Amino acid sequence: MRRCYSTKPIEDIETELEQKGPEYWKFLLTKALQDKSLDVLEHYTMTLVIEGAKEAQVSVLARSHPYLRATWLKGEDWLISLNARTLVELWNDKGAKLFAESVVAELDRKEVGRLFNSVAFGERIRAS
Amino acid sequence: MVKESVRVKLLYHTDLEALKRALAAKGVPFDSEAMLDHVVYMFEIEDCSRVTTHQLVRHRVASYDQESQRFSAATKEGFVIPPSVQSNQAALAAFDEALKSVYAAYEKMTTAGVPKEDARYILPGGIKTKLVMTLSARSLMHMVWQRTALQAQWEIRELAEKLHGLAKEVTPELWTKIIER
Repeated sequence: MRRCYSTKPIEDIETELEQKGPEYWKFLLTKALQDKSLDVLEHYTMTLVIEGAKEAQVSVLARSHPYLRATWLKGEDWLISLNARTLVELWNDKGAKLFAESVVAELDRKEVGRLFNSVAFGERIRAS
Repeated sequence: MVKESVRVKLLYHTDLEALKRALAAKGVPFDSEAMLDHVVYMFEIEDCSRVTTHQLVRHRVASYDQESQRFSAATKEGFVIPPSVQSNQAALAAFDEALKSVYAAYEKMTTAGVPKEDARYILPGGIKTKLVMTLSARSLMHMVWQRTALQAQWEIRELAEKLHGLAKEVTPELWTKIIER
C-alpha cells in the first residue's frame, strides 16, 4: 500500500485494491521494486523461528540489517523478525543470500505472501 | 472550522497467540519483554497536523508512509486548530485570516501553473495529513512513555494515548507496565 500518493481514506484504498485484483498488486509491487521505493515494503512484517544458526552468523545479519531483530531461544534456535524490505536486501546481499533463500523457501512452503515472493524473488520451483 | 481529533486505526498486529505457540513448540517460556521486539503494529493515522507528524517521525525506529503534498492538493478544510486558538476569539480571527490568505496564494499559484510540490512551500504546519506507521512494541512503548508525559504537546499526547489504547486492547499482556527506557 502506498499512502503518499493518495488523499483517500484507507478503507477506500483497500476497496480499490480488492477490486483491481492481483494483476494490479503485481504491477504496484513490480514498480516499487524497480524504482527501489523499498520503504513501502517495510510495512509487511514477518516473524520466524530459525534453527541451526550460530550466534556469530545472527550477529552479522543483525548488524548489517537494522530492521532485523533476533532473540536467542535455545541452542542454535532463534526468533527472527524482519520486514519485506529487509528480506529483499538480504536477498541482494551475497553474504546473506543463503539465509534469505531459506526464509523465502519457508514462506513458499507455508504459502505466505506468494504474490510478493514471486514478484520480488522470481518464480521458483517450490521446495518439496 | 471546528477542531477535530486525530483518528487512529489499527490495521495489523502480530498474532501473539501464534508467537506463543511457536515458543511453546520449542519448549521456550513466553517472556513478554523479550517479545517487544517481535510484536509489530501497523496504524493508519488521519486528521493529524504536520506539526505533530514532524514530532512523530523523530521516533526513528519505525516505518512511515505519509500523504505527499507533492501530489495531493491542499484543501481549506483540512486544518487542525489548537485548543488555545479555538478558545480565544481574537486568536481564532487572526488564524482564520492568515489561513484564507495562505490558501488564496496557494490557489493562485497552482492556477498559474506552479506545481503543487512548489506551491506547498507556503502551506502552514497545521495542515492535516494522513500516514501509515509500522513499529515494534518496543518502539511504541518508548513513544508512549515519552509522548504521554505532561510536557508533551496536546496533539501528540492525544495521538500517543490512542496508539497506546489500541495496542493494549489487542496485546494486553505486553502492556501491563510501560518499561521506561
